Amino acid sequence: MAVADAPLALPSGAPSHDGKVLGVFTRAQRTTGWRSWITGVDHKKVGIMYGAAAIFFLLIGGFEALLIRMQLWAPRQQLLSADVYNQVYTMHGTTMVFLVVMPIGAAFANYLLPLQIGARDVAFPRLNAFSFWCFLFGGIFLNTSWLLGGGADGGWFMYAPNNGVLYSPSHGIDFWVLGLIITGIASMVSSVNLIVTVLNMRAPGMSMMKMPIFTWMTLVTQFLLLFALPVITVALFLLMFSRIFGAAFFNIDDGANPLLWQHLFWIFGHPEVYLMILPSFGLISEILPVFSRKPIFGYSFIVFSGVAIAFMGFGVWAHHMFVSGLGPTSVLVFSLTTMFIAVPTGVKILNWTATMWGGRLRFDTPLLFSIGLITMFTIGGLSGVSHSIAPADTQQTDTYYIVAHFHYVLFGGAFFGFMGGFYYYWPKVFGYMLSEKMGKWNFWVLFLGFNLTFGPMHIIGLQGMSRRYYTYDPNFGFDIWNKIATIGAFTIALSVILFIVNIALSYKRSKSLPPVGADPWDARTLEWITPNPTPEWNFDPIPTVTRVDDFWYQKYEETADGGLVKVRDAKDIVQDSDGVGVHLPSPSYWPIVLAFGLPIVAYGLIFSWWLCLLGGAIIVTAMFGWAFEPPDDPEAAHGHGHDEAGHDDHGSAADVDALEQEVAPVG
Amino acid sequence: MADTATFEPVHETGRDAAAPHAHIEHDTNTGISNTKLAMWLFLGSECLLFGALLTTYLLYKNPLPGQGPTREQLFDIPFTSASSFVLLMSSLTMVLAVAAIERSDHHRMRIWLGATAVLGSLFIAGQIYEFTTFYAEGLGYTTSRFGSAFYTLTGFHGVHVTAGIIMLVSLLLWSLRGNLPEHRSETVEVVGLYWHFVDVVWIVLFAVVYLIP
Amino acid sequence: MAHPQQPPVPTSVLDGAVEDYPSDWKYWRVAIILFVLTAIEVSTYVLADSVFSDSRVLIATLLFLMVVKFWAVAWYFMHLKFDKRILTVAFYSGLALAMVVYLCMLLAFRYFGDDGMICPSESLNCITEG
Repeated sequence: MAVADAPLALPSGAPSHDGKVLGVFTRAQRTTGWRSWITGVDHKKVGIMYGAAAIFFLLIGGFEALLIRMQLWAPRQQLLSADVYNQVYTMHGTTMVFLVVMPIGAAFANYLLPLQIGARDVAFPRLNAFSFWCFLFGGIFLNTSWLLGGGADGGWFMYAPNNGVLYSPSHGIDFWVLGLIITGIASMVSSVNLIVTVLNMRAPGMSMMKMPIFTWMTLVTQFLLLFALPVITVALFLLMFSRIFGAAFFNIDDGANPLLWQHLFWIFGHPEVYLMILPSFGLISEILPVFSRKPIFGYSFIVFSGVAIAFMGFGVWAHHMFVSGLGPTSVLVFSLTTMFIAVPTGVKILNWTATMWGGRLRFDTPLLFSIGLITMFTIGGLSGVSHSIAPADTQQTDTYYIVAHFHYVLFGGAFFGFMGGFYYYWPKVFGYMLSEKMGKWNFWVLFLGFNLTFGPMHIIGLQGMSRRYYTYDPNFGFDIWNKIATIGAFTIALSVILFIVNIALSYKRSKSLPPVGADPWDARTLEWITPNPTPEWNFDPIPTVTRVDDFWYQKYEETADGGLVKVRDAKDIVQDSDGVGVHLPSPSYWPIVLAFGLPIVAYGLIFSWWLCLLGGAIIVTAMFGWAFEPPDDPEAAHGHGHDEAGHDDHGSAADVDALEQEVAPVG
Repeated sequence: MADTATFEPVHETGRDAAAPHAHIEHDTNTGISNTKLAMWLFLGSECLLFGALLTTYLLYKNPLPGQGPTREQLFDIPFTSASSFVLLMSSLTMVLAVAAIERSDHHRMRIWLGATAVLGSLFIAGQIYEFTTFYAEGLGYTTSRFGSAFYTLTGFHGVHVTAGIIMLVSLLLWSLRGNLPEHRSETVEVVGLYWHFVDVVWIVLFAVVYLIP
Repeated sequence: MAHPQQPPVPTSVLDGAVEDYPSDWKYWRVAIILFVLTAIEVSTYVLADSVFSDSRVLIATLLFLMVVKFWAVAWYFMHLKFDKRILTVAFYSGLALAMVVYLCMLLAFRYFGDDGMICPSESLNCITEG
């Protein structure tokens, strides 16, 4: 860890805060350059890093997906051995769920949530940075298993007793367990942080029912995380103790019941699927009204159906276990609850459709992706309802029909929403627009590739092709559909490349274009009242909110016959301040140091106890350093001078460079 | 109770006057400080953690016949009752420490914090004694499903208590160095919340694990 | 140690409580009640063969005492009585969710026998039968 070389000495007269914390580090102060990313606690930087890291993991998980599809291109292929195939699909699922979809949700939540409620940062900025580093190191730790004896091979839900040492002697599952515990800590911390932020830090006038829908859906998501993560944490600890210390939790010889794992996993796992989709629901609930030029239809219905989904999401877990011999009563009960949970989701679909109905639709890329979500998620939802009928589910379990279903809801749902969010919020975050033309290509290629890949899986699933088999025989009639799916998978890869190329080209082109301006989409919600890209201090002054879609109603007024008249230009509303005198949380080294200790302990648990000691020492030091470091450096962050504000602007451009560099080499 | 005020923005003034670093504790919409709200949310989440461990224990509380000692053979109720009393009383000393610092009585607060840490350590010592005794009587961690579940459940609780003791000692040292002025008294209260939670978990464990046959 | 010479800050200003926290004596009284309740709990162990020969009575008594103790610590020592209600809601929603979910899980395991009682200990594997 580098010690900052900038002159950081505190002015005299602050005896209780000497510049060095525990005598190790001088207080980090940089707000520009790479150090500002390492030590930064700004929620916007954390959000951008979440997004960049998630796209990096998306490329890894996508590569694994392509390997799977290449192996299944033709019957009896030998590209991957059965063992490697097990590892590849396990890591594909794990990566996509825990290292891609959840973090992209966290990226949007981190970036947008304080902006949408009119706050300058989250409640605990250092904890926020810790969450990110913890997630990043956990994800890297998980993927180093490829280099250290092979990945986990039990499927992403890692059923017992297959997850025991007896059936999986490599260290893959140990990496999986410990990596997920570390990323779980990240999500746990950020859930508490974001809930407190929403409950406590709203701008004046922003009551709960005036919050933008994305904020509401994120709040619900964080509550789901808050209550679901401890369950998987226990399951992971039980598995870790079983594998490393030989505990009897899943050992049938000791009278243990492997169903314990299934229950614990799915009590977490079902809320998990909702917490992956809800941020996307929130994003398109922001996008649809803007591109339909209408308020969202039934604001309170969308909000409360989200809350209802969260509650009911804890009562349906056993529908993943219909074939495990639960007994008729349990199957009946969980069938019914599963059918009921389709209702609040249906309410949302209706609301989105009604939002577009009669609107003046502007078919820009964000709207295309949102419509993509609505249609694809509906297909996935309908196949989902077919699972709730237990006798049918018994036939569908562990076939490609299931694979088709959850890709339609998570890829066609969550990921389409995220893509729409990327296009919509890109100018907000980076200050330039992504090319519309390439964006439309991106959408249609993705839409085509997605349906080519996962549409045929419904058919081969119902024909009886099992998921997770590394190959199939030629005479089952699976050949043609598998070929189509593989072509589709490469089409998806092409669209992801298009997206990355679009980022690079649009950035290059933006240098010769005028700045994007304050309000490129004619938007509605509070985050657009700040200039683009968002300045470091977010708001100056903190706005006062009077109604839902406050920004919109500052621009437009309704006439007597219900029409809209533009009364003010966005330029006059958007804040134009140099941020002088705004007090911001200070950067800190401790979050990254603390997070760095965790994977070292995890390596220690697998390889050598000495590493545990080392990692533990780092963690303890970091915790005390953190505790003794005042949350705000009392001197450093006061008063942004004009010069400094100027640097900040440059900093934002440099930030874009940093993201490009992180993304481009991999693509 | 101010139910109606819960979701209305509350703008207090005057808090900053007593606090040099008042901007740390912004005025909040709920009127509750961020730290305290965060701790309560965390405790709500911990309920599910201990619930899962307790459920595991309930499922596995009887070892298969021939797989080591059973609960009836091992549990020493008088001894565990004594250590339960110790932990319960540490809750009293903790709340007295919180009350003391709110009266600006730093001296008493340190005494009560110290007492809480000592009582907590006594409880942990009792747990170590209990574990070694059980081990000597034939219940290893891998002996039976009961052994695994019992040690994991009570061990998780023990780790929580230990973390609490470390926090208490840190607070004590912090206070002795003069870094715990009145406007930071909430730190003591928040650590206290954690400590009481560990105590209520033990109230449940003592009844469900030890007393209910 | 030099203490800043400031008047004591009212509780509500410090952390948003809606009532002032009680005097020490009140905490002592709660502790004494907790002490007595725990003594009763322990006495069930001694009196298991006489007063509490019916195990249902025993379990009901113990669960009742447990709930009262839990509530007392949360209500007084953890200041839920004096704080804003949202804290009570946050904590008890987690607790209620935990109880409902794990009770359903135990039911799915058929942990409780037909008479609502836990399966007898000699039953080898009452969690996997059926």
